[in-house]
Amino acid sequence: MSSSFRSDMGTDPYDSVGDDRWIIASASDRGSSRGEIDSLLHGAGYRVRSTDLRHVAIGLEQLESTMVGHQCVASSAEAIHYNPSDLTAWVDSMLSELAPDPHLLRHPQSTATANTWADPTQQRPSLHRLENHHQHRNVPAVSLQSMDEEEDAAIRLVHLLVSCADSVQRGDSEMAGSLLDQTRLALARVNTGFGIGKVAGYFVDALCRRLYPPPPSATGGGGSAANLEILYHHFYEACPYIKFAHFTANQAILEAFQGHDRVHVVDFNLMHGLQWPALIQALALRPGGPPLLRLTGIGAPSPDGRDALREVGLRLAELARSVQVRFAFRGVAATRLEHVRPWMFQVAPGEAVAVNTVLQLHRLLGDRASPEGSDAAAAEPIDTVLEWIVGLKPKIVTVVEQEADHNKPSFLDRFTEALFYYSTMFDSLEGGRVGGSHRGGQQQQQTVVAAVAEAYLQREMCNIVCFEGAARVERHEPLARWRDRLGRAGLRAVHLGSNAFKQASMLLTLFSGEGYCVEEVAGCLTLGWHSRPLISASAWRADDADDASPPRDHQTLVLQDHSSSITSGSNNVVDGDDHLHQHSVMRSHMGSSDRINDTGSGSSCSRV
Amino acid sequence: MAGSNEVNANESKMAVPLNTWVLISNFKLAYNMLRRPDGTFDRHLAEFLDRKVPANATPVNGVISFDVLIGRTSKLLSRIYRPAPSTSAAVPLLADLYQPPSADPFPVIIFFHGGSFAHSSSNSAIYDSLCRRFVSLCGAVVVSVNYRRSPEYKYPCAYDDGWAALKWASGEPWLQSGKDAKFRVFLAGDSSGGNIAHHVAVRAAESGIEVSGNILLNPMFGGNCRTESEKRLDGKYFVTIRDRDWYWKAYLPEGADRDHPACNPFGPNAAKLDGLPFTKSLIIVAGLDLVQDWQLAYAEGLKKAGHSVKLVYREQATIGFYLLPNTDHFYQVMDEIKNFVMANVQ
Repeated sequence: MSSSFRSDMGTDPYDSVGDDRWIIASASDRGSSRGEIDSLLHGAGYRVRSTDLRHVAIGLEQLESTMVGHQCVASSAEAIHYNPSDLTAWVDSMLSELAPDPHLLRHPQSTATANTWADPTQQRPSLHRLENHHQHRNVPAVSLQSMDEEEDAAIRLVHLLVSCADSVQRGDSEMAGSLLDQTRLALARVNTGFGIGKVAGYFVDALCRRLYPPPPSATGGGGSAANLEILYHHFYEACPYIKFAHFTANQAILEAFQGHDRVHVVDFNLMHGLQWPALIQALALRPGGPPLLRLTGIGAPSPDGRDALREVGLRLAELARSVQVRFAFRGVAATRLEHVRPWMFQVAPGEAVAVNTVLQLHRLLGDRASPEGSDAAAAEPIDTVLEWIVGLKPKIVTVVEQEADHNKPSFLDRFTEALFYYSTMFDSLEGGRVGGSHRGGQQQQQTVVAAVAEAYLQREMCNIVCFEGAARVERHEPLARWRDRLGRAGLRAVHLGSNAFKQASMLLTLFSGEGYCVEEVAGCLTLGWHSRPLISASAWRADDADDASPPRDHQTLVLQDHSSSITSGSNNVVDGDDHLHQHSVMRSHMGSSDRINDTGSGSSCSRV
Repeated sequence: MAGSNEVNANESKMAVPLNTWVLISNFKLAYNMLRRPDGTFDRHLAEFLDRKVPANATPVNGVISFDVLIGRTSKLLSRIYRPAPSTSAAVPLLADLYQPPSADPFPVIIFFHGGSFAHSSSNSAIYDSLCRRFVSLCGAVVVSVNYRRSPEYKYPCAYDDGWAALKWASGEPWLQSGKDAKFRVFLAGDSSGGNIAHHVAVRAAESGIEVSGNILLNPMFGGNCRTESEKRLDGKYFVTIRDRDWYWKAYLPEGADRDHPACNPFGPNAAKLDGLPFTKSLIIVAGLDLVQDWQLAYAEGLKKAGHSVKLVYREQATIGFYLLPNTDHFYQVMDEIKNFVMANVQ
């Protein structure tokens, strides 16, 4: 062997020699001291502080659970990546691009003493069992003794969480911090892959974020509207709640539109317009022919000059054209619902109006004055909006809301309620997936969709736990409170009949697992998991709505369940005199001004 | 268990150090973004994300590197790593680069980087590190071949490029050593690189080029049936059956299945290796690698065909254990490689 180079005689040949670009680790370098770059990862091309490793690892894990599924992969490919060497920043930016909230990242200050790299071997206990509900059907058979141990661990975990929330409410951040550490330890003893462990983990993160809010980041709050749409779409796919909402609302709308030639639907949250193809097709098939249908879709403004509302409108227009329904679309871009004004819809005289609000009205609520919630206090945005809804004299107002009270004045109450609500939600995602015979049993695809659906729910959860004031928009209230509120505003319930109930049940047997249940509650329908209602659908009409319409005909027009996928086809604008689908977008600015800038799409809305 | 996309990071967290976990998980995540369900690959993003290092003719820890084009007309690039030439100049002159590092016999290691045929390059940081280590370990000249990758280039492009590199190296006078001016070459590779090393070694045996040894680190093999290890370890240690399938589909010819001899060299479609002057093999298998059953079957197949195999089975090792020098697996396997090379370089 030549002596012209150093030969390896059993010692590691690489010392930490001073070439800047190459800090190659020596055998003794088992890890840099705090704050320094991990030298081994540096050799692999990544600059990560040793103290950030855990944070990055957690972020990678969260990214993985978010970043599954076709749409998400496509979205991540469109994301702009910067400096992949800075793994910490890369992971954080990917998470804020694709995951609902940066709040879910553990704040560096709160480094857990617990080993989050736990090795769970337990089966999953369901929080459900702690509420004395039915035993989750998918819990595998294990010995009674081990189940008790897990149940103990789960109970302890819940107890810790609630205690922690309590100290947060009292402002005792020292106690809260200590309880958080204990909670993380307890978390290490349960399987965080699913069930109580998974939900608890998210709540731990949320509490942590509430305790130690990160400084405002350059990326601003939360993910973009486009990414929220993706999450929403996965939630739509993964479980039947939104489909149920659409189905039920459409049925009510269809019935309310009977006998009317010109109809106008106002959708409070257009998203991808998943609700409307089925209605368009049902209208196409109705005896006597379809009406002229106008759809006004409200949604968030698109960044970057994209006009997402218009794109959806064009797709729907194309569909309407293909089934020969005269159709016109208008988009209203608003950052907050309370900035919308009824004149933006340009309701024409003689039109039958339907107002459709799926999981939107709660965003208009404010803090409740007292635990009993006498809402005779100051006017909230909800009152203003309900007033102009009633002013439109709608034939039908369809309201779908989460069946939970996440707007209680006490933070602890909200927290506890949310813990149980979302635990049940997550259970249903898990159980419905396993049990369902969904589209030929594509198990892996379902897993993927469910994981992203969870991210959608996490976003809600986090908003409830971490935010206050105007930023807290997930102010869910139960159906009983909505009844009172809508009644005081001058709306009367339209009972959803057994036909709607039957169709909802059929939908569930076809597409979802056992465990889901539809119930009729005084004219409204709820959908829940194992006897816990999670979402409610109700229909209303204005008290003094002009009753020129014929009496309600209880013949049911069966709505075909339109395929849930919206193909992003080409945005062909079909021109033809008999097809009115011109479109203009009105933007409302945040703030008090009512001044509106037309986006200058160039087309005006003409009328029949 | 089913659900290869299930997030199940828990076992892997306990099996490797944290920085290794971060590194491999980062790769896994990034690679997920790059593989499209329709079989195409986001090559631009892949190249953007891959951490690369330039060649460096200034000695670092006694090792220098430079890039060469193999053959004048070819576009095949290779990065050469070698002990720093003994010269007083701070930076070796070009002429110095092509001097043999030693008059005494020294090994030439033709290295094929991993990446499941689709990822990485010879200038990827992780492989630059590994090749430098081989130089210091064995006093070797390492030729890291930048072979064409799938899905843009399918079978047999990677093998063709490997063969071209071997032929080129065998004709370079400065790579010959010892009194008999012999070209003492080893073929080495990890993952897909291990697979390439095997197939190039077969061609060498058929063509009369003598290879002193094959070094296969977690070589990538497969077959149609699902082996026990694949089923047991699916998704548990960074790798899934599903992604393996994707990469094979991307590499193998259209319409081929995984019993194609490229993937399954001892499968139903394979040519016999009995009687061929096939080289000795050092095969390193990680016990937490889901394709280990195929790797073990490969070793068995070689033995049955009458060829020498040294099998090193690291029970608790995962894929990529050789990327960071932070475990016993790393150091002990490097020792095995060094011993194997030293024993066979004469």
